[in-house]
Amino acid sequence: MKDAVTSLSSAMGSASRRRYAPRTWMLILLTALVAVSVVSLLIGAGEVGPRRVLGLLQGASDSEAQFIVWELRAPRTLIGIVVGIALGVAGALLQAISRNPLAEPGLLGVSAGAAFAVALALVLGASAATLRISVAQLGALIGCVCVLSVARFRGVGNDPVRLVLAGAAFSGLLGSLTSLMLLYDQRAADEIRFWVVGSLAGRRLDDLVAVLPSLLVAAIAVVIMARPLAALALGERAASGLGHHPTLIRWVAVGCVALLVGAATAIAGPIAFVGLVVPFVARAFAGPDIRRTLWFCLPIGPLIVLMADIISRVAVAPSELPLGVLTALCGAPVLIAVVRAKRLPML
Amino acid sequence: MGYSSLRNGLVGIVVGGLLVGGSLASVAQARTLDTAYGDVEVSDAPEHIVTLYEGALDAALAAGVTPVGAVTTRGGDNVAEYVEAHLNGERPEIVGVTREINIEAVLAQQPDLILAAAQLSEEQYQLLSRIAPTVVPHAQPLAFDNWKAEARLYGQALNREAEIDDAIATVDQRISELAAAIDDANAGGTAVLARWMPNGPMVMSKELIATGLLAKVGVEVRDAGLVAEGHPHSDILSLENLSQVDGDWLFLATLNADGQAALDAAKQSSAFTRLDVVKQDQVVPVNGQLWSSANGPLAAQAILDDIENALLP
Amino acid sequence: MKVMANHPPLTDVVTPSHVLNNVPIHTAEHADSVPAPEGYWHIALPRWGYSFLLEKRALAVNIGLLIALLASCLLYLSLGSVPLAPSAVIPAVLGKGDMMTAFMVQELRLPRLAAACFAGAAFALSGILMQTLARNRLATPGIIGIDNGATAFAVASIVGMSVSIAPPAMALAGATTAAVLTFGLAAGSGTQGYRFIVAGIGVGAVFGAVTQLMLARVAIDTANAAYPWTVGSLNARPGGAVQLLGVGLALGVIAALALARSLTLLRFKDATASGLGLRVKARRLQILMLSVVLTAFAVAVAGPVGMVALIGPEIARSLSSARHVPIMAATLAGALVMLLADLAGRTLLAPIEIPVGIVTAVIGGPWLLWILMRPQRSRP
Repeated sequence: MKDAVTSLSSAMGSASRRRYAPRTWMLILLTALVAVSVVSLLIGAGEVGPRRVLGLLQGASDSEAQFIVWELRAPRTLIGIVVGIALGVAGALLQAISRNPLAEPGLLGVSAGAAFAVALALVLGASAATLRISVAQLGALIGCVCVLSVARFRGVGNDPVRLVLAGAAFSGLLGSLTSLMLLYDQRAADEIRFWVVGSLAGRRLDDLVAVLPSLLVAAIAVVIMARPLAALALGERAASGLGHHPTLIRWVAVGCVALLVGAATAIAGPIAFVGLVVPFVARAFAGPDIRRTLWFCLPIGPLIVLMADIISRVAVAPSELPLGVLTALCGAPVLIAVVRAKRLPML
Repeated sequence: MGYSSLRNGLVGIVVGGLLVGGSLASVAQARTLDTAYGDVEVSDAPEHIVTLYEGALDAALAAGVTPVGAVTTRGGDNVAEYVEAHLNGERPEIVGVTREINIEAVLAQQPDLILAAAQLSEEQYQLLSRIAPTVVPHAQPLAFDNWKAEARLYGQALNREAEIDDAIATVDQRISELAAAIDDANAGGTAVLARWMPNGPMVMSKELIATGLLAKVGVEVRDAGLVAEGHPHSDILSLENLSQVDGDWLFLATLNADGQAALDAAKQSSAFTRLDVVKQDQVVPVNGQLWSSANGPLAAQAILDDIENALLP
Repeated sequence: MKVMANHPPLTDVVTPSHVLNNVPIHTAEHADSVPAPEGYWHIALPRWGYSFLLEKRALAVNIGLLIALLASCLLYLSLGSVPLAPSAVIPAVLGKGDMMTAFMVQELRLPRLAAACFAGAAFALSGILMQTLARNRLATPGIIGIDNGATAFAVASIVGMSVSIAPPAMALAGATTAAVLTFGLAAGSGTQGYRFIVAGIGVGAVFGAVTQLMLARVAIDTANAAYPWTVGSLNARPGGAVQLLGVGLALGVIAALALARSLTLLRFKDATASGLGLRVKARRLQILMLSVVLTAFAVAVAGPVGMVALIGPEIARSLSSARHVPIMAATLAGALVMLLADLAGRTLLAPIEIPVGIVTAVIGGPWLLWILMRPQRSRP
């Protein structure tokens, strides 16, 4: 166990990063997050650039700039931060309980479950724009529980590759069922092809408010769970010896993952690989302690999502790139880097 | 040499046999049409017609012929709604969807004439033309007037050129009447045709039949310079650029039969409700089946109906 | 025991002693003195100085599958939008009978039958090759992203450029690109060769994202044209690609049979396989390449119908004994599954067709779940 962790650290070349204390790194990351959030308010696909936004702050009356900054970019930034935190923390939890650095909500079929549920709702007559946010959340939850119960945590999870395979197979299955439903309903097919690529565009604060309760529940649960999770990392026996219930811990963690990913997917659609990349980077800063890793996921998740979102806005202005595509393009190399590590790290 | 001529002879027998089997048309009086796949001979009085394209179905109905087989409209499981009124109780058998033609079902109808879309692939053409003479219009770059040339070709194939010319003339006359009425009522102005997607709007090209008709009746159609040449619509526009679809009129198309639902969906976005055109309630929900997918003289009439109802209530 | 847990056997208990029974005996003199093991026939060809063991069960399974396949072929040619009597089909295949039936059978159903059989067989063969290689029954070429690569390229050729490059050729290029990327990126990941699976999933995710991006940016007409390439369909398949697939499949089956013994050994740990005289690395590379090429050809014809690569081998394994890798049985079962699936797709909702990729997914989906969820068998 211990040398696996060491090999993970060395694989990421974190020796050089350890010159600063984690606390210092945290400060740097938070500053970066604030900076990126400001940039996210300044830049967009439209004609309102940094100059007009700064003019606005100096008191110029510019109703268009005001609208775009406060009604479009500010909610979007806020949603990006929440989605980043939710996906990052969910990834860290999932990796901790499955002891598998490849466990990622998207890879394990959670996004496919959400897409399936949305397609089902569309076929049954809902319209994507008016879709009740709960549908996607429910789908994500079912997808998550399915894959994890299939994987039974340790059964398949013993071998990181097998868990990912099970997830990929499951995603493929749900994808096919989604296409089957859309076969005779081209209206739904036409709407879903825009939904399956995740995006932060056009999301409203109402959507965020709708998922806030579930996010709060998950947040409280994660705070309570942090210590038992850390104990679990020492092994099942050690955790039991310290008075924790390993099975209970895992189920609660799965519930949290489903709530977090469900909420993020319901707002933004499937956003691939964030749950893989964020804990990967966070561990490089935090080391093996799950509690510290979870803390570091808080600034890193939003940072990654916001940076990807900013790129998605400016790359093909006046249109936008879907965020899910960008994160898939950036995340796949990380996935490959993880498997290329000399030994597949077992957490 | 001997082999190939033998083979050609056999193919000829097969084709001839199918023709005779299909109907008792007299091959002697065949006429020759210029199609995308070269000259095609069609009989004088085709009776069993299969249309594999919405524009062809439209033209055939306009010429007074109800096909025995047709493909579904895009986004539906039957022919387009506006077509229903022209069927007179006879209903074409469905022989597939636009994206996948069921050639067996075509053969089962034993047609003596097949009218297909310009996009028909060579391989499909080879098979279909052995069932019956298959008329494929020349592919043209996207332009508003394409439907007229296509309808005329289908009219020739049906040997009902006069009826098609009449139908086109009726459309042209209707256009000039409507243009005059709109001018009198001073109801014109600028307009954008858009489809509302959850992430934002797509601006439709100025070269579609619907936008072309809008322009003809005196409405200044805009696409904000966003639609690439030859493309039927733009990429999804960022909400930050939504002001570019503002104007006097906004026609909001959806594949949903219920255009009002699309409008309600759009109104949930503050970027949309902020537009002048929305504040003045000048947004017209229209049926996307008709406005972004249909083609032909009957479709043109139906679109003109929509325009008249919207601009001259 | 602990080690075996990492390499669960594909089928029932397999031990090296079972396999050794299957090793061809190369000298006829030697063979004469050894009685055939139980369940085998000993075929001696003294004139060529060669003899081999034929497993009775394997022979029975293959003959049974072949008969089922032929019966399905007849059914396939008979049923459709215009049902024909089987008695009318057989003369029509030979070019007799009335013109319409002959046209229907020869021009419409036979080419599609060939496409279905060839593609199904190629998918299943490539599936069992890769499963054996990765020692995992879920590791099919489709799941590790090769189908995604082919789809992305085919869709790109439809939505991007004008039709200068045919989608089948692009699908071929896409599958090859995905495979090269996967193995290039996974190269040097040590002796655990199956890590290419995860690299493949990553590469597949990228291609999948690119496909979705393209589909989200094009007009619905173009998205419609690309549709068969995204789900897998046998409607109006290009003839050239089918012929190419036929030739490729024939060569592939021969190559796979030549590799049969290596495949049997590859189910064990690398150390065991090497100890039994297998050049593990070289064989692994050959099998991989064979699997990728077969998938590429099959995708070029039928689109991504990757589920057949899972179902075909699964059927074959459930019918066969665990002593060898059922290559022929998987190939035949794949053809059978594809044929029946397409028959269902053509007839259930006629005249509108259900793409074969969706039919196989609906059949294969529950099956897949069952494989995933059933309790693990106890291991030695």
